[in-house]
Amino acid sequence: MPKLEEMQARMTRLEDIKQIEKLQHIYGYYRDYGDWQKVVDLFAEKDASVEVEDHGVYKGKEGVRRYYLDLLGEGGKKPPRPGLLHIMFQLQGVVTVAPDGKNAKGRWYGMGMEARPTASLHEGELRQTWIHGTYENEYMKEDGKWKIKKLHFNLCFRTPYESGWLKVPVVGQQGQDALIKPDAPPTAYFPYPSGYHVPFSFKNPVTGK
Amino acid sequence: MNLAEMEKQLTLMEDIQAIEDVQKMYGYYMDTHQREQIVSLFSDDTESFELESVGLYLGKKGVRQFFLENDLLKGDEMSVPNWINILIMMFQDVIDVAPDGKTAKGRWNTWLAEAMPVGGIPRQQWCQGYYENEYVKEHGKWLFRKLHWNVTVFTSFEAGWLKVPLLGLLTRPDADAPAPHFHPYPSGYHLPYHYPHPVTGE
Repeated sequence: MPKLEEMQARMTRLEDIKQIEKLQHIYGYYRDYGDWQKVVDLFAEKDASVEVEDHGVYKGKEGVRRYYLDLLGEGGKKPPRPGLLHIMFQLQGVVTVAPDGKNAKGRWYGMGMEARPTASLHEGELRQTWIHGTYENEYMKEDGKWKIKKLHFNLCFRTPYESGWLKVPVVGQQGQDALIKPDAPPTAYFPYPSGYHVPFSFKNPVTGK
Repeated sequence: MNLAEMEKQLTLMEDIQAIEDVQKMYGYYMDTHQREQIVSLFSDDTESFELESVGLYLGKKGVRQFFLENDLLKGDEMSVPNWINILIMMFQDVIDVAPDGKTAKGRWNTWLAEAMPVGGIPRQQWCQGYYENEYVKEHGKWLFRKLHWNVTVFTSFEAGWLKVPLLGLLTRPDADAPAPHFHPYPSGYHLPYHYPHPVTGE
């Protein structure tokens, strides 16, 4: 029979995984609805960063604010454009908690349905698209709560509903915004059909490699 | 942490697992048209059942009415035409068990690939929506106390949500009331979250 402390440590690890999964699921719901402040509040105060598709890396909590509130939320100056749709399913999480119990990594699939302009981030005719990609995220426990430390969504395809990924892998490549600039260029942006696979945060549970 | 506290934590984890299972089993029973099995997952004290445009059904009586008098599935289960396909994928759950451990709330995301008659015509559809459900623990088992599926898009495979956000209405005259929260795309309706923000608590 293991000691009480050992059982407690095992239980805490299971709870940590569950809480991180919940955190990522909640991120998805806030992101779907464009609740930008709520999204920003999910990020850690220390060493936060966000990188989505080809938008580049936004660093620090201030960078996270600039990305979600200023760039995606247009500074809250306008109400969301009628018909704009972004629903991204948060799927298949594999969460690995570090031995210190304070840091974790998670790989997820994102699969989604959108209605969005493709000529620029906010202007132009709405198109309906299927979107798919992979998250490799990092989490940290700050003040007793799990928060997102690093979010990286790596795009595989964003295709017009009418065409499909084989015919049109990506519409609406935005590049880096000229006004609300990222702190660094994308670390990896190689959509389908490049054959690129985002490196895995987890190790093979059998071989350990 | 003493043994009593640890047992409490373990119970909470088991409760969440049981609630996830009952929701997913509901989905598999739905997809395979097992109506009696579905009804058995609802508490006798069920508050309500609300489904997209279909309507609001009150109490366990309403649940029975909806599932057992369903004109899509008349007669015994084998009478469902084989071409009718219900496929509801359920994922991204956020489950919160009340401090007393007796009730719970859960939000889910769903993606549907279906084939069924709409307006009397066989159609194939993509749908997306969210659940905000409530569960209750009775005699050690978790059951539905309230089920609400809120549809965002219900489109034909051929057209897509931007062109055809809503393929048709599925309203039923035997509902206790029209669906109170039926506001599909592109209304911009946001189904309220049952949970406080995990960091700010607001």
